[in-house]
Formats: sequence, C-alpha cells, structure tokens
Amino acid sequence: MEMVFIAASIIIGLGALATGIGFGLLGGKLLESTARQPEMANQLQTKTFIMAGLLDAVPMIGVGIAMYLIFVVAG
Amino acid sequence: MTKTGTRFIHLPFARWLIAEGTILIILSVLWSFESRLAGYSALLGGLIYVIPNAYFAHRMFRFQGARNARLMVGDLFRAESVKLALTAVFFAAVFILMEPVHAPALLFTFAVMVVLSSALRWFIQPQTQR
Repeated sequence: MEMVFIAASIIIGLGALATGIGFGLLGGKLLESTARQPEMANQLQTKTFIMAGLLDAVPMIGVGIAMYLIFVVAG
Repeated sequence: MTKTGTRFIHLPFARWLIAEGTILIILSVLWSFESRLAGYSALLGGLIYVIPNAYFAHRMFRFQGARNARLMVGDLFRAESVKLALTAVFFAAVFILMEPVHAPALLFTFAVMVVLSSALRWFIQPQTQR
C-alpha cells in the first residue's frame, strides 16, 4: 500500500518539476522577447498562452492519475 | 492597467466556453450509453478541467503590454500554480465526496478535455484589438 503513495508522490513531484522548468523557460523567453520587441508584447502573450496549454497537459493528467491512486486505489 | 496604448487583447471566453461545453456534453452523452453514473462522472471530469482552465485564462490576461511584462510573467506563474492546486483539490473532492464514481469515465473525459482544449486555444485564438 505504501508503494501507491510513493508512486503518486513521484508522479506529482516530477510533474511539478517539469512544469516548473518549462514555465521558467517560457516566462524567461517571454520577458526576453518583449524586451527586444515591445510592440509585439500582446502577440507574444497570446503565443505564450497557447504554449502554456500544451506544456501543462501531461502534468495535469498526472495529477488526475495520482489523485486516483491516492483516493481510490489506496483508499 | 489592462491596456497599453490603444491595443489590447480580446479574450474569446464565450466561444471557448461554448466549444468546451459542447465537447463535454457530447462526451457525457456518449458515456451515458454505458450507464447513468458513467455519464455523470464524465461530466464531472470535464468540469474539473474547465473551471481551473477558465481561472488560468482570466488570471493570465490581467496584465497586458510591454510595460507590464514582469507582472504578466508573475501572474502566469501564479495562475499555473493555482490551476494545478485547484485540479488536485477538485479530484480529491470528487473521489471523497462522490460515492460511487466511474473512474475510467472521469479520467478519460478529463484527459480528452486537456488535449482538446489545448487544440482549441490554437483554433480560437485571442485577438488583438484597437
């Protein structure tokens, strides 16, 4: 039973780590690009929004599976 | 501080919600052929994604323009953190409070909504207006 909690924590932890790295890179590039071309700021923000959706898709599914493991499989 | 100069981003919230709601209802109806519980679980699975995602979109576009770039990125990080936390809380609430639950329908609909919503953002993009 403890292995289920370890598995869920690994899923959530690695998902959060990957999302953090991805969003850090995305936000950094957004700041850099906006500083280079301020007139493009709105378009860059829109593109960032689209990429954010692709970036957090897998961690979101991971959170769902981890909650299932914690509350249904172990519970 | 939502405008910089004369251009601002118009978010097509209504179109997004209509498209996501339509997809969600179709999936729920398809799952309800298996059982009524599966249809209800599928509806909940879709809502678990739609509500935090709507918060994310609202929060991310609070600040716009090059002058607010730092605030924009800060809000992007906060919105993403709250979105993940809200998703975990909603899943926990459904698994604890709703008994019984059709887990395959819930998780499948959630996963489909995650993938389709990302594609939807590409097809229905926010427009920059004057």
